[in-house]
Amino acid sequence: MADGMMVFQAVADTANAYRDFPLIGSRAAVWIAAEIHLMFAAFVLGVPIFAVVAEAIGIFGKDQRYDRLAKEFTRLLLIAYSATAIWGAVFVFLLSTLYAGLWAYLTRIFGPSMWVYVSIFFLESFTLYLYYYGWDRWKYGRAKIVHWCLGILLNIWGTTVMFIADSWLTYMMTPPRDITPETSPASIKIWHAILNHTWMPINIHRLIGNVVFGGAIVGAYASYRFLASRTDEERAHYDWMGYVGNFIAMSALIVLPFAGYWLGREIYQYDQSLGITMMGGFMSWLWVIQAFLIAVLFLAGNYYLWVGMGRIPGAERYRPYTKWLLVVLVLGALVWGTPHTMIADSRELAAMGGSHHPLLGALGVMSAKNTAVNLMILATFLSFLLYRRANIRQVVPWAKTGTRIQAAMFVIAAAIVLFFGIRGYFVEAIVRIGYSVYQVGAVLACIVFVTLIDVLMARGAQSLGAIQWGKMPPRSQYALFILAVTFTWLMGLMGFARSGIRQHWHVYGVLQDMTPYAATPALGYAAIMISTCVLIFLSLVGFIFWLGGLAEKSTFVPSTVEAPHVGH
Amino acid sequence: MWATNLRIIGVVLGTLALYTLIANKIPQVQSDVPRALTLGANVTPEQLVSAGDQLYHGAGGCTACHGLGTRAPNLLTDEKGQGPIGARCGKREAGKDCKAYLHESLATPRAYVVTGYEPIMPEMGRILSPQQIWALVAFLESNGGTVDVSASDIPASSTTSTTSTTSTASAGIAGGSTDPMAIIRGAGCTGCHKINGEGGAIGPDLNHVGSRLSANLIRESILTPDAKVAKGFEKFKGIMPKTFGNQLTAAQLEALVQFLASHK
Repeated sequence: MADGMMVFQAVADTANAYRDFPLIGSRAAVWIAAEIHLMFAAFVLGVPIFAVVAEAIGIFGKDQRYDRLAKEFTRLLLIAYSATAIWGAVFVFLLSTLYAGLWAYLTRIFGPSMWVYVSIFFLESFTLYLYYYGWDRWKYGRAKIVHWCLGILLNIWGTTVMFIADSWLTYMMTPPRDITPETSPASIKIWHAILNHTWMPINIHRLIGNVVFGGAIVGAYASYRFLASRTDEERAHYDWMGYVGNFIAMSALIVLPFAGYWLGREIYQYDQSLGITMMGGFMSWLWVIQAFLIAVLFLAGNYYLWVGMGRIPGAERYRPYTKWLLVVLVLGALVWGTPHTMIADSRELAAMGGSHHPLLGALGVMSAKNTAVNLMILATFLSFLLYRRANIRQVVPWAKTGTRIQAAMFVIAAAIVLFFGIRGYFVEAIVRIGYSVYQVGAVLACIVFVTLIDVLMARGAQSLGAIQWGKMPPRSQYALFILAVTFTWLMGLMGFARSGIRQHWHVYGVLQDMTPYAATPALGYAAIMISTCVLIFLSLVGFIFWLGGLAEKSTFVPSTVEAPHVGH
Repeated sequence: MWATNLRIIGVVLGTLALYTLIANKIPQVQSDVPRALTLGANVTPEQLVSAGDQLYHGAGGCTACHGLGTRAPNLLTDEKGQGPIGARCGKREAGKDCKAYLHESLATPRAYVVTGYEPIMPEMGRILSPQQIWALVAFLESNGGTVDVSASDIPASSTTSTTSTTSTASAGIAGGSTDPMAIIRGAGCTGCHKINGEGGAIGPDLNHVGSRLSANLIRESILTPDAKVAKGFEKFKGIMPKTFGNQLTAAQLEALVQFLASHK
């Protein structure tokens, strides 16, 4: 045991364990490489998920447009995949040379899984090539199903690779409690290290997050191509593609907070001081920034839908409702962004007249925030619903009753959310935490059942006119760009939160960071780093989009053909 | 097309600039590395208070909760007319002076959870060295009271580690004491369980646990609490830490098991 300590912590303490990077320092170098690798990785893991779904809709729904869409997604993947590998290699080289002690420690524990990782990476690469280049060859009949299965296999490889890499970083954050600085890494069983507290919550959170991110980047790609279009057909195609990208991103975003709650709960269970550092310590302002970013996402996503209703005949019926939806979203965002627990000095406390602002303090607690975010989700879902049914008139005899039931479900869900939100102020914390489950349950039940009723009501519905794909004002496309930038920035911010709560530890409580960069920087510095990473990433993605345009001209559908809504 | 490209670049850069600006306009707090503390035999109360002040407002992370007064009592301002912590600490526990109370509150914070607050404070012995804890005691005493921490209180060991995770892990909870009630308080059991007139009602009452469970089952419940959940407490499954097998010494575990088994 003592040998392990001597070898590894001592190695970390010596000059050989660390090297510096010119100009920007070793921390910034590793930060940039890791972050950009992660952004590309999220894209190449998220896009195959909905490429496979789109291909399935094409096969089983017999709609060729989805098949073309899936192929276009995959073409973007091909180039992004190389960029992911390049940045992954840069990251590994930087980590192994600048943080040699940490690298030695991690490889000692996780060595075998790194070999598995590389092997699966190979399999994933060749599956992707086969999937893309076989698209036109295996186009019909059974061959098409086999091709679709290749897409599923691609997702399996990608998810496995991510799960393996997640085990390394979650071990650094929440190493099993029996592992101490004296524990020799050679004596640590690999499965014991992998199955740490936050491994599975991070896996699930990233899986959903990748879909959100992939959808947003695809939306940005479509908006770029829309703005660059020279023909109506092109515009119609990329308008539709942008809508699909936004739909995917926003739908997955709605479930992402639930995975986030699970992750936060596991962090608290592992070590309350880690949780307090994250939520109430030096990172407390970070959540106010996060609330602002999510407010931008909700507002931009909804704005895109509302503008999009301008190209749907019949949508004018619903226009008066949008201003009320906007009111709910803005009020919700203001409540969500109200700070609760923050570091304040005695002067600031005196200025506030207490530990909380007399008026806003009551809004900064979890009861108010959970209520606000659930109502924002309901409002966003209502926007989608209005968009969906904008150009149809239901003809089923029970259409009016169905609509009333749907309205009642919205009212009941909102009432449940409000009831538990208000009641939360009068009960113990442990009971209050449980209330969020009821609030979330009410919202999810409303989404599921209202959608079900809507699908049944839309059977044989009378069309009020084809959606005029392509007839979108350019400002709507800039909303998609804002969505993509905000999603990417938010990913960088949350990555900083996850990694930063380790503070001055490489491996929390086990291996200390002995470099001059051990202190965890303030949010201002982190924001500059995040913006730098986002800018590099988006510049490279822009280049990839341009290459994508060069590689192949897209196939388009005539703008007069009515395209079905997603979910029909 | 150039105009469109420039507009796109403008939107992207403008959005990035806005987020960066907002993040730089809010209060900037950096999480510093706890500095190693070397306190010689001639350390003065002023030096201790100064070191404690830095820890309290910096690496100790105390202000995250104690600076507000909502998650934990505000220690530096008056609370309920009793004055700041240095003035009220000596009155909190009968027969316990301020110094002893503060030190125990830092080492085993769940022993004295103030009414109305949750037992969320981590054992500071896992985060700070003994020297740092004594420096914090001196600083807290200096807020409204008299500093009586001296060099003689501080362990002779000159080790200046920034954390004591190791020593806590090997010494067990409550400094390795085998006094069952000290272990129960140190481990924070009374945060949820009731025993000998102390504790909450989130988990099963332990006053007659010996009549319900054998010693083996009690041991299993401590080491793997989710293996068998008491009837009526299913919704609290997962709350009890699963780390006591690593935190308690073998002697402590046995003392605790026998103590609980005797409560029939």
